[in-house]
Amino acid sequence: MDMPKKPVPIVSPWAKPFWDAAREEKLILQKCKDCEKHVFYPRIACPHCFSEDVEWVEASGKGTVYSYTVVTNNAPSAFIQDMPFVIAIVKLQEGVQMLTNIVGCDPKQVQCDMPVEVTFERLDDEFTLPKFKPVHKE
Amino acid sequence: MSDLKGKVAIVGIGEVPTGRYPDTAAIYHAIEPAKQAIKDAGIDKDEIDFVMPTASLFSPPFNTELVTARIVEELGLKNCKKNCQIFAGGASSSCGLQMAGSLIATGAANYVLYVHAERLGTGVTAQGGIDLFSTAGISLEWEVFYGQHYSAVAALTTTRYQYETGTTDEQFASVCVSNRKWAELNPNAFFRKPLTIEEVMASKMLSTPLRAKMSNMLFDGGSAFIVTSAERAEDLPNKPVYVLGESGRVTHFVFSQEPDLTRFGWAEAAKEAFEEADLSPKDIDVAEIYDSYPIYQVIAFEELGFCERGEAGEIFLRGDTWPGGRIPCTTDGGMLSKGHIGAGGGVSLMVEAARQLMGKAGERQVKGARFAVETATGGTYMDSQVTILGTEIP
Repeated sequence: MDMPKKPVPIVSPWAKPFWDAAREEKLILQKCKDCEKHVFYPRIACPHCFSEDVEWVEASGKGTVYSYTVVTNNAPSAFIQDMPFVIAIVKLQEGVQMLTNIVGCDPKQVQCDMPVEVTFERLDDEFTLPKFKPVHKE
Repeated sequence: MSDLKGKVAIVGIGEVPTGRYPDTAAIYHAIEPAKQAIKDAGIDKDEIDFVMPTASLFSPPFNTELVTARIVEELGLKNCKKNCQIFAGGASSSCGLQMAGSLIATGAANYVLYVHAERLGTGVTAQGGIDLFSTAGISLEWEVFYGQHYSAVAALTTTRYQYETGTTDEQFASVCVSNRKWAELNPNAFFRKPLTIEEVMASKMLSTPLRAKMSNMLFDGGSAFIVTSAERAEDLPNKPVYVLGESGRVTHFVFSQEPDLTRFGWAEAAKEAFEEADLSPKDIDVAEIYDSYPIYQVIAFEELGFCERGEAGEIFLRGDTWPGGRIPCTTDGGMLSKGHIGAGGGVSLMVEAARQLMGKAGERQVKGARFAVETATGGTYMDSQVTILGTEIP
């Protein structure tokens, strides 16, 4: 069976800087200049105070695993070849949450509240996806 | 909260058995339960003045052909003033009832026919169903490309909930067993053979810790109910099922944005619904809790106040929620055993709540049931909807 092509992000115009930065292996977030809260996913205006004075800032790239799962069967068609793979929600130090994959370790090692840091995986010429890997103790 | 308490009632219900019907067109699943509901209500079909279907997921053309008017035409309704679709995914039942009730209470409609039809069992392939549910309600901008899909959504919820409460895999499996006990007594359910915890635990792992038999399966089906005013309801043959309280919370759209994966908004919604009804969980005779996966039945059961957080697993395991138990729960077998029919999963539960209160649930009738709670949630559990129904007005 031919594997269908991996889905790529549908990009809203105001989210384009996020994907441009990801292609350069940088994780950036919106930050509201009025209420100073970080915002993810990118919005037209700050969802906390409606301010349109929102700037892009580089994120620490560090966070913890809020929850995770190891997908071993019945994945969507384009992901069957990747099984087993880890889907996780990561809480960034900046206080925002994002869906991601945990890579760079045995899926069995992933735990809730485990510290992780951003890494990048190229999908195609246009898109590089932020993913996360365990923080190894020095 | 609304101002519908005791003003409106469900007066008729209809349902086709959940199953796979490759030789039948989807519209059948809407028309047959609608006919049943009109007959059950004991009204003339031409008294229906508002038809309110919900959307189907299996086929966009089924929705875009504006099937709402087709239902009016197929049923030959001569005095129907309005037809419009109300859709909130799995939460369509609660939202539809509130919309219908509000139209009745304001006098904008006399009899609302609410109907759902779905063809997820034969309208799509098995892999097609997985693929459909890797985009239905899952963000194309932020999540689809990480391989997100519904088994993983349920697994992410389960993992965090287990981490915080210590609930075991066997306790989650017991939710499937509890629902199956009810489905064994429900002729409209698809899975009616007894199920054991061992069988659930031996089924294949999909996304840790979620196993195949902890997952709903997709089917064809349809159900319908009719809503009218409390005054008109008194003159009709069925025991009126009054709306006593309702509330809800919409907590996210993009799944990863849910602030509390182990609670969602159930507690706030339930508190308001119970307050409006002047009832507490102790007064409830039947709990029709939305169960697309065991985790969501467990969380809602706890957050509604039927037990303390972390206790539900044990309660389902020891049989309190089974037929004859202290808190009969999800008495049609739910999506886990009756079968998942899209937005109809919630509509089925609403119909079952009404059926139990009308005293028409056959072998699985909860004796003397006066008060029921129904819950529903849409998409990736984006909202938490609570409805309290009863045959008396406290």
